[in-house]
Amino acid sequence: MLVALDRSSLFSLQGKVALLTGASGFLGRTFAETLLANGADLVAIGRPAKLSKQEQVWSEKYGPGRVHCYYVDMYDLEALAKSLDEITQRHAVDVLINNAHELTPSSGFNTPAGSLEQGTMDVWMRNLTAGFCWPALTVQKIGAGMKDRGHGSIINISTMYAVVAPRPTLYEGTTFLNPPAYSASKAAMIAFTRYVASFWGRYGIRANAILPGPFSNTEDAGPNSVQVGDPFIEKLKANTSLGRIGRAGELAGALLFLASEASSYVTGQSIVVDGGWTAV
Amino acid sequence: MADKLEATEETNRAQALFDLTGRVAVITGGAGLLGTKHAEIIAAAGGSPVLLDLRQTKPEVTAAAIAKKYGVDATGLAADITQLAEVENVRDELLARFGRIDILINNAANNPKVESSGSKVWSRLENFPLEVWNDDLRVGLTGAFLCSRVFGSEMAKRGKGVILNIASDLAVIAPDQRLYRQEGVPEDRQPVKPVTYSVVKTGLIGLTRYLATYWATSGVRVNAISPGGVFNHQPEAFLAELHQRIPLARMAHADEYQGSILFLCSDASSYMTGANLVVDGGRTCW
Repeated sequence: MLVALDRSSLFSLQGKVALLTGASGFLGRTFAETLLANGADLVAIGRPAKLSKQEQVWSEKYGPGRVHCYYVDMYDLEALAKSLDEITQRHAVDVLINNAHELTPSSGFNTPAGSLEQGTMDVWMRNLTAGFCWPALTVQKIGAGMKDRGHGSIINISTMYAVVAPRPTLYEGTTFLNPPAYSASKAAMIAFTRYVASFWGRYGIRANAILPGPFSNTEDAGPNSVQVGDPFIEKLKANTSLGRIGRAGELAGALLFLASEASSYVTGQSIVVDGGWTAV
Repeated sequence: MADKLEATEETNRAQALFDLTGRVAVITGGAGLLGTKHAEIIAAAGGSPVLLDLRQTKPEVTAAAIAKKYGVDATGLAADITQLAEVENVRDELLARFGRIDILINNAANNPKVESSGSKVWSRLENFPLEVWNDDLRVGLTGAFLCSRVFGSEMAKRGKGVILNIASDLAVIAPDQRLYRQEGVPEDRQPVKPVTYSVVKTGLIGLTRYLATYWATSGVRVNAISPGGVFNHQPEAFLAELHQRIPLARMAHADEYQGSILFLCSDASSYMTGANLVVDGGRTCW
């Protein structure tokens, strides 16, 4: 196999079909745009509230027939399985991106109810379902077709908090909290990534993870998320080597690299995009 | 916020993300098998590769071929990177010519083939010659240090730059000496992967992390890649053994690291520093 050296074709997704979960979220939107802008057709899974609006925007921007949305509450695992079956019948997925996660008080974010001391089983299970059950299901269902076709790239969006713990001093005196269930579920996701890479490498399927550092959602910050100008952002910046938080677009390169032939010999790996947070 | 970058069609396109137009990239060991491949992808992305290598490897010939093929400015310079004065001369020459140095790829290393059995097996630890140890460390580590010091300081002064260290899967795992075993050869004559290879490559990861935080606020990003072995018509028996240890069940193609090189040398990785990108077909994941 010869690699096309032209940078637009080495990293091209032309003619590929990419399935993305959590497409309408903060990072999901960047991933979706990156996939579409580089030639992939997009199959998106998510809840209708935000995704249906995005579907319209993207269809207008990238042309009709490029975006296919499947509306489902992913916590309904039976419904999710049914959607995935439908997707496998209609689309030959080349790239699977497990990006969805619930970052709300229901899953223990920014509420004492998510803490080590008080975290409820419900909080734990919502995180494990998102970080572990969703990828397990999508990989099993979508991976079957990839095996048949002899190629595929699976990209799991984990977090730097799967390899280092949040520091309590970072959160003290703020209303922010990053629950232990999140770290644990995203670490499980990395172990799962390696397992898939190990067992399906022989079928030409690659599985890798991206571990983002601090990428605060300041674009459409809800009441529960960090606001522009919040001193908490300064604390986050101080924990990185580069001295700044990441911009959503700075994950586009890693995604394109892993989704395309540019990474044809990369599997079982975690790419850490954290401004040097974990380097120290 | 001021540094917010909208997710737009333009900023997310590969053509823009991976563009190196106008950037000057110094590649040590530039005339070697992989050094040439690194130079090619720099050129293909619009950058100006500068191939440093020893005089006898004729880096200027390789550079001329790349310049012709890609229609870019490619330079080949003879230099011994273990000599500070020679590295400084290269810097002066490049600054006079381009006015800038944007990228350094520390690629040079001694990598002798694992020997076939002979009367004296120098690579075994019990016999490993001090001169070989010193020379391997001088090229692989001292060379990388001197080039980082000289070219990296220049980048830090300008407030922007990238250093990429070429490590190895053997910076992450130990060599599996069973791979090199030969039937019917006594234990004390069995060929092995030299100890210096593991030491040099692991040392480069330490250098990577050190420089990453040292120059973080000067705009210089420092990362490593850890490639696995490249297929180069090795003996069938060796390949069969090695393939069993790799989930993708094959060695890499010589041009298969170019995507990683371009990813880490371009703005596509602008929020990555201190990282080690392992490109090994999955060898270290099980």
